[in-house]
Amino acid sequence: MSLVDVLNVTKEYADGEETIRPLDGVSLSIEEGDYVSLMGASGSGKSTLLNLVAGIDQVASGEIIVGGTDITKLSRGKLADWRAAHIGYVFQTHNLIPVLTAYENVELPLLLLPMSAAERRKRVEIAMQAVDLTSRASHYLRQMSGGQEQRVGIARAIVANPTVVVADEPTGSLDDETTEQILQLLSRVNEELQMTLLMVTHDANAGARARRQIRLERGRLHENGQETKASPLRTA
Amino acid sequence: MFNFIPYVLKSLWRHRARTVLTVSGTAVALFVFCFIGAVQQGLLALTDGEDAGRTLIVFQENRFCPQSSRLPQDYESTIAKLPSVQDVVPIKVFTNNCRASLDAIVFQGMPPEKMKAWRDINLTSGDWSSFGQQDDAAIVGKDVATRRGLAVGQKFTIGDISVVIRGVFRSPVAAENNLIFTHLDFLQRARSANDVGTVTQLEVHLGDTADPDTVAKQIDQEFRTGPVATTTRTKGMFQADTLADLAELIGFVHWLGYACVGLVLSLVATTTVMSVQDRIKEHAVLQTLGLRPLRVFRLVLAESLLLSTLGGILGVAGSALLLSLTGMSVSAEGVTIAFEPSFVLAVQGVLVAIAVGMLAGLAPGWQASRTEIVPALRHG
Repeated sequence: MSLVDVLNVTKEYADGEETIRPLDGVSLSIEEGDYVSLMGASGSGKSTLLNLVAGIDQVASGEIIVGGTDITKLSRGKLADWRAAHIGYVFQTHNLIPVLTAYENVELPLLLLPMSAAERRKRVEIAMQAVDLTSRASHYLRQMSGGQEQRVGIARAIVANPTVVVADEPTGSLDDETTEQILQLLSRVNEELQMTLLMVTHDANAGARARRQIRLERGRLHENGQETKASPLRTA
Repeated sequence: MFNFIPYVLKSLWRHRARTVLTVSGTAVALFVFCFIGAVQQGLLALTDGEDAGRTLIVFQENRFCPQSSRLPQDYESTIAKLPSVQDVVPIKVFTNNCRASLDAIVFQGMPPEKMKAWRDINLTSGDWSSFGQQDDAAIVGKDVATRRGLAVGQKFTIGDISVVIRGVFRSPVAAENNLIFTHLDFLQRARSANDVGTVTQLEVHLGDTADPDTVAKQIDQEFRTGPVATTTRTKGMFQADTLADLAELIGFVHWLGYACVGLVLSLVATTTVMSVQDRIKEHAVLQTLGLRPLRVFRLVLAESLLLSTLGGILGVAGSALLLSLTGMSVSAEGVTIAFEPSFVLAVQGVLVAIAVGMLAGLAPGWQASRTEIVPALRHG
């Protein structure tokens, strides 16, 4: 079994009288340590799939198994606990808490885990070092650039050592130079910290940095020109 | 949960204008709530006090203002002979204002030895001997002294009465801290020679086994055919009758106290709702990081609770400070209701603030905890 198995997942929602189905029976497997980019046109459902894997949205049918847990079966409360322990989320617009300093923002996910203050401090310092922002630890968002904010966002996503880091258009609001820095940082997260990474992007250049590139078209996933399947079928 | 207290405090600080306005609004409302509570407590102390049911007040029949009640002083000895009467205290009352007033001055003249025997008063300045030796000496309750800026050695004149202050006292009976005690014969002579030999009221102290109603009837029966007919009631009933109009007003005003609680509820709830609506996306981010919906609910509740409790503490402290520093009271027909701050009232005020804070946070907290994460992340 892979680290992440998306099995025959359908997602639909109502838009007035019409039922929209952005994902129609998609299947996908992600191995531990993979760096996967998910691309597709706007509205193709790539962020929807990422949100389902991250456990912040619900499937209409199908299963999503991450690290052996079928997250579609978890209650809201249990799913929240699961996210705290297993998911690091990098947002397009950073979504840092403006009243907290960079350090406090990075520390936030650790407050939800059973951990001593000393252990928390150690982990935050390591994460801040990884994104090269130790000198900005006490700064607030208004004192940082967009690129620095995104680095804080990445530090927050990796600090709890999650099973999967998901990134939704992480370079979507950045200039070219900063985009390059952030992509390099994400590659380091995958290679040096050996974290599994699933990134949604509409930017082909950004997507090409990942080891696996998957496209989402008309509710179906394609990799290397073929529709993807979940691991048991893929290996068959 | 305690890990998130800095986040809660910083969130409140982020909108400090809104926070300060809500806290001050809550403080004002709780100030009024406690002030009204103090007035009610003062009234209750007069009508339900320890000696309210065991002490009788004999007054001239069909008279209300102390100036118009003139009982012959020798009634004292007649009443003292009745079985189960322990003692009788003749009292002359003078007030500069018979109507309801926030600054009425009430003199009570009585024999010093009876004053010492039946009034639980402690001199905080001055001494008894100089009071006893001087005919126009007076001892002044601490609240009158504070209100009027009176001190030992000063001469104090109001209307026809002029006294020299020989002591300032403190009494556990709050209403008495608003009185000025003088010698009985001084007050009898102070206004006109006609008052000599008359008193305003007789205070009858009963033995433990006496039935107050029976003794009251006996007294009134005794003087039914005398030169001046009497009306005798328990002290509590006398004070309740005298303050009937004020009591009715205070009874109405206590609804304003409840209105203040309602005001705090709507104020804190409005602020909390606004705060939640401003942070729909932020709460979605927190949930994405792994905050349980119940925890989001508790965070919102904590904010609402902090706003309300802080305002409550300030309001309660403000009212306690004002009441204890100014010694405010209202008098009517010589009877004084002291606005009494008390620990119980303060605790009650803070508990009301806490309860209202929790109540105000329920709906916004529920709303925040039920937020769907994905639509909320697209918000704003």
